[in-house]
Amino acid sequence: MRYVKLPKENIYDFLERLKDYGKLYAPVKISEKFYDFREVDDVKKIEFHYNRTIMPPKKFFFLPREKMFEFSISKAEYKETIENVEPFVVFGLHACDIFALKIMDTIYLDEFPDKYYKVRREKGIIIGISCMPDEYCFCNLRETDFADDGFDLFLHELPDGYLVRVGTPIGHRIVDKSIKLFEEVTSQDICDFREFEKKREESFKYHEDWGSLRYLLELEMEHPMWDEQSELCLACGNCNTTCPTCRCYEVQDIPNLDGDTGVRIRRWDSCQLRSHGLVAGNHNFRPTKRSRFMNRYLCKNSYNEKLGLSYCVGCGRCTYFCPAGISFVKNLRTIMGLEDKSCPPEISEEIPKRGFAYGGAKQ
Amino acid sequence: MSDNPYALEKAKVLRVYDLTETEKLFLFRFENSEIAENWTFKPGQFVQLTIPGVGEVPISICSSPMRKGFFELCIRRIGRVTTVIHRLKPGDTVLVRGPYGNGFPVDEWEGMDLLIIAAGLGTAPLRSVFLYAMDNRWKFGNITFINTARYGKELLFYKELEAIRDLAEAENVKIIQSVTRDKEWKGLKGRPQQFIVEANTNPKKTAVTVCGPPRMYRDVFETLINYGYRPENIYVTLERRMKCGIGKCGHCNVGTSTSWKYICKDGPVFGYFDIVSTPGLLD
Repeated sequence: MRYVKLPKENIYDFLERLKDYGKLYAPVKISEKFYDFREVDDVKKIEFHYNRTIMPPKKFFFLPREKMFEFSISKAEYKETIENVEPFVVFGLHACDIFALKIMDTIYLDEFPDKYYKVRREKGIIIGISCMPDEYCFCNLRETDFADDGFDLFLHELPDGYLVRVGTPIGHRIVDKSIKLFEEVTSQDICDFREFEKKREESFKYHEDWGSLRYLLELEMEHPMWDEQSELCLACGNCNTTCPTCRCYEVQDIPNLDGDTGVRIRRWDSCQLRSHGLVAGNHNFRPTKRSRFMNRYLCKNSYNEKLGLSYCVGCGRCTYFCPAGISFVKNLRTIMGLEDKSCPPEISEEIPKRGFAYGGAKQ
Repeated sequence: MSDNPYALEKAKVLRVYDLTETEKLFLFRFENSEIAENWTFKPGQFVQLTIPGVGEVPISICSSPMRKGFFELCIRRIGRVTTVIHRLKPGDTVLVRGPYGNGFPVDEWEGMDLLIIAAGLGTAPLRSVFLYAMDNRWKFGNITFINTARYGKELLFYKELEAIRDLAEAENVKIIQSVTRDKEWKGLKGRPQQFIVEANTNPKKTAVTVCGPPRMYRDVFETLINYGYRPENIYVTLERRMKCGIGKCGHCNVGTSTSWKYICKDGPVFGYFDIVSTPGLLD
């Protein structure tokens, strides 16, 4: 990998030059507490030390609401509508968000590549930035705290600038075109980088092994936590909207007033809504709030075979933005037996865990 | 085909048959004759059927892949889109994409006996297996088709199966049709598991396919295994809400943290051991 240094005084020049590659999106402060990726005109407004944005960067590639087809009923025709996507730059992604995009890729760019996602992914330039975790972060437990690839450039903060890792040919081009802004990395920079990474590692709230979580979640499907916490849940779907790897979508055909033409759109869906598992005939495969609540926990902690990671990247958004104050990490730690040591928990009756198969095995 | 996995192909309704009060059988052919002749699928796969301006629904194919040039869908009038589908007449155009799903591993079943257990609308996807086996009769041993419904008038493909009963009997194909609730019914009465004992299949080398309402599976499995049918040869086909058919939209997800499945991509056909190790698949 190629390493260069971007001195602090050149950072704004560098950001200004990024605009040559397309629209520049970067984290900005949008309210007292919240940050979000927005198109930036004045590069001075960019936040380098944000904790987490309210909307994850998936919104640039998998649009919250997207036109897929234009249809005509009389012609019985669905015409594909893929807009001409201009190249764009997303600056300031944290490592967890870069991993989240890699997870999205495993789903959306598999053997049936999603064209709408693909065109945007090909045109998007990703520039990562290092971060200092706060009490909501747990990417170290998810092993997503350091991005090895998935970015064009990655900036690591140093006291007097940034150590830049170059990830792709586009990254090399960006560096080479503005080579005057960069310097060689010095021994002092390496020391500073090491110092930063050490400090970062230490500032995570939890240092523990979550290797058995996946299995415990399955074994503890009758744990009292599920009832208690799903009771608090408002089923608003905020956790899904802010999750960088949630990717469910709903498809709708919306006719125009002329009664003939219309559009087929897709929009983000949430597994916390009652409609998610509902089929015709009013049968619901996830009829209770508890089952939907649990569904998200199981989905996020399931195993992505292509990356060898869980689907949760530990960004902390679902906890930070939950209006009911439900803590994802705390609940998972309860399941792990790290919050409360009593094991087995006090239970009124033993509920069968379904280890026995149907038929024969029962006798 | 197009590089857009959601792109649709035009298909024409050729024939419409009334099966029951709520189910109709539709015969479609792709308008593009090249696609119409070459398009193929595996029994157990499904298509996404679009009615322009109304919406898209996943429907399992119920014809045999050996009969080219057309495909059949058996559709129950139950929701918004299917109500409109039921108004279709021969000559109308719909849009189709697919086929999707894994389908039954029919190639692995060569030389085995075949036991098909269907209840209610479960007959539709299993009819595809049955017709495939009939078209490739030499590939299979004995075949039994247990077709059940609640009431006699709800028995899908009753006439079709009755019509071939005698011929089939001579070919070692046994057809059992029964109802579970109908008191007036003249024919057989009873739940599907009661007829497993009457099947002409050898439990040790029989591929079993089961499809029906979720409540049915437990009893059927229990009976099958008690009669010595091998669990690794038992297959079911399932349904869920589906929007994409290619494992993206997430509505058909099911399972737990160690076994996370999309019914549309990893299924809709699952083996018995998938069901045992994936809570939530059947309920």
